[in-house]
Amino acid sequence: MPLTVNATANEAANNGIAIEFDRVSFSLNGRRLLENLSLTVSQGETLVLLGRSGSGKTTTLKLINGLLMPVAGEVRIGGRSSANWDPIRLRRSVGYVIQDGGLFPHFTVERNIGLVPRVEGWEGARIEARVRELLGLVGLDVELASRYPRELSGGQRQRVGVARALAADPPILILDEAFSALDPITRSEMQKEFHQLQQRMRKAVVFVTHDLREAVRLADRIVLMESGRAVVNLPSEEFSRSEHPLVRAYREAFSEPTETATKKKTRESP
Amino acid sequence: MTLGETGEAEARQSRPRGIAVWSLVVAMTTILAIAMFLLVTGCAAHSERIVIGSKNFTEQLILGELFAQIIESQTHLPVERRFYLAGTFICHQAILAGRIDIYPEYTGTALTAVLKEPPRANKEEVYGQVRQAYEKQFNLTLGPELGFDDTFAIVIRGEDARRLRLQTLSQASAYTPHWRAGFGYEFMERADGYKGLSTSYGLRFAEPPRVMDLGLLTRALVQRQVDLIAGNNTDGLIPALDLFVLQDDRHYFPPYEAVAVMRAELLKVHPEVKAALELLGGQISDEDMRRLNYAVDGEHRDPGAVVHEFLAARRLLQKN
Amino acid sequence: MNFLHFMSANRQQIIELTLEHIQLAGVSTLIAALAGIPLGIVITRIPALSKLIIGGANVIQTIPSLALFGFLIPAPWIGERASRLAILALALYGLLPLIRNTYAGIRGVDPAVVEAGRAMGLTDRQLLFQVELPLASGVIVAGVRIAAVLSIGLATIAAAIGAGGLGEFIFRGLAMVSNQVILAGAVPAALLALAADLLLGLLERRLNSFWLKA
Repeated sequence: MPLTVNATANEAANNGIAIEFDRVSFSLNGRRLLENLSLTVSQGETLVLLGRSGSGKTTTLKLINGLLMPVAGEVRIGGRSSANWDPIRLRRSVGYVIQDGGLFPHFTVERNIGLVPRVEGWEGARIEARVRELLGLVGLDVELASRYPRELSGGQRQRVGVARALAADPPILILDEAFSALDPITRSEMQKEFHQLQQRMRKAVVFVTHDLREAVRLADRIVLMESGRAVVNLPSEEFSRSEHPLVRAYREAFSEPTETATKKKTRESP
Repeated sequence: MTLGETGEAEARQSRPRGIAVWSLVVAMTTILAIAMFLLVTGCAAHSERIVIGSKNFTEQLILGELFAQIIESQTHLPVERRFYLAGTFICHQAILAGRIDIYPEYTGTALTAVLKEPPRANKEEVYGQVRQAYEKQFNLTLGPELGFDDTFAIVIRGEDARRLRLQTLSQASAYTPHWRAGFGYEFMERADGYKGLSTSYGLRFAEPPRVMDLGLLTRALVQRQVDLIAGNNTDGLIPALDLFVLQDDRHYFPPYEAVAVMRAELLKVHPEVKAALELLGGQISDEDMRRLNYAVDGEHRDPGAVVHEFLAARRLLQKN
Repeated sequence: MNFLHFMSANRQQIIELTLEHIQLAGVSTLIAALAGIPLGIVITRIPALSKLIIGGANVIQTIPSLALFGFLIPAPWIGERASRLAILALALYGLLPLIRNTYAGIRGVDPAVVEAGRAMGLTDRQLLFQVELPLASGVIVAGVRIAAVLSIGLATIAAAIGAGGLGEFIFRGLAMVSNQVILAGAVPAALLALAADLLLGLLERRLNSFWLKA
């Protein structure tokens, strides 16, 4: 089944840079949420934003699809400043996946996935075909198309969320803790499948997580954020070997928790 | 939420639920449609009955019964009674909306309360003005005057009237400075009530008038707590308690002649109704009305029986 | 004559007045919905107006119904026909529940769902009609239910100004001091209110359970 994704065409545009943050700052209600952030994401690249809650990761995502506008600096999508994009067109060019899918509870899986194509004016048969295609892409049984989100498991909902984001074939995909609510096994499955999908589709992906292992598994490049700043910005392998104190702290937090509570007590007692 | 046996069952259940919502909506719309249909057909059936309304005091009930019985006996059309409607405004609204076809009204009330025109003294002029205006503005027809005037009456004890040889209000105004007066709330408030009256006749009283409930005024007069009250000209208790109505020689009070108000549309379909009601023209004098009122209020007889007796005596029940 | 016998003997009048009553309450609730739902939507979009609009509807609610009927009598055109007047007044009373419930219903939609919709590039109108309104429909229907029951009750008072309906029996019965006549008006009115509450409540429950997560 041919993918309607045109990887090479996506890469050709704008000498390959899909997203660019040029010294971007953002505040809300007097609080500085982002400070002087600069980064680029090329077409085909997966950038992972790693950091604690409140480090500015979600804010960064919302600046990409125009839900927020920078207070200083410029965000450029496809070479054009986000301020110059028609907000509706911008958002339809950016697929957005959130935790637990954010699916519309009153739509079937089919209507959920087909929503953007429908408002874009695709004809019924084309939408149906696309929905079937996407279900296959994310590893779901076509039979689920007429189910409602509440009838699905968490993992299935997440897959539908990804399918929905891909429906109109946007060049950019942003994911906000998309797999964080899943159980470890499903989560691991989803990471593997997503990685494979991305190898084929070559979209510009920005993935937010606070899980170091997930970051390493999925990223071409990792940006570690802290208090609204990009503290570390390295390709994935270099990041793993970095001796930056914050990176080390992260590694330690994610190292094997072999000590049980009792063992720790006996170790700490004189 | 995991998908298992229970999940499957729930999934199967929730699909019929969607149909349930829509079938509920359809059911409700159908009920509404049926109701509307009944309303339309109900109206059609309604036009076969003549609906007679009346306000909620004794005299009105008697007049309503008069209309109903004379129409029934002269035309043999089915008549429905809707008495005790709460007032002029409500009767007027009801007849405009076609909910009632006929009701008894007073020319003075029609002039001031319905048409909102200033009061006038001349009976014929008032009748003429009301008849024309009702015809033009509301498509309502006025029947002939029944023969009595339910205007305000200034009432004193019969013995005082005889002793002082009083016939008119002007004569009485010489004695009122020694008297106490009692009036109802409405009479005190209305423009054509106490204020205008005292100006018109130059009335002065020993002390400010006592204001009390209409029902208590007559008793207060008889028990000598007051010496002069404002009541209704056709009050049944006037002859019964030996009370005397002072003549309104300066024609201060506007006329309140009783007439039937009828829907012109009805008369087009049933002109015999108009003919039947015209038989009542001039048939009821002030005295007659007082006696009829007393029979119901004082003797506690049934209005239907009282009216039947009256019509029979006047030979108005059989067809001419 | 016992009560049921009385009802059956006067059934034509009772049916007529009941239909009149349904018309008064039904049309006014419809008008209240047609005005109140858009107003509720407006204040979700322009929160600055919410104080004004909800405040206004609140003030209307505090006016005693009979007084409001009385105020409107001298109004040109509206005051000429009691049924017009009654329908307008009843519609005014139905505004507050509808505005408030529409507002609460839309605000009550899961913000994650709304944000997902916005992020997908739905225009505000698409968001409103395809996401927010369907998900808020249960609460909005609850508002209709409240307005309808309110209307049915207040319509009995409308008879005091000549608008007809079952209240006419009640007022006539009071003047006649006849319990049967009073009940002939009160019982059908109460049954109407119960029926409306039940049917609309059913619809409300279906909508809530159907379109929200189980």
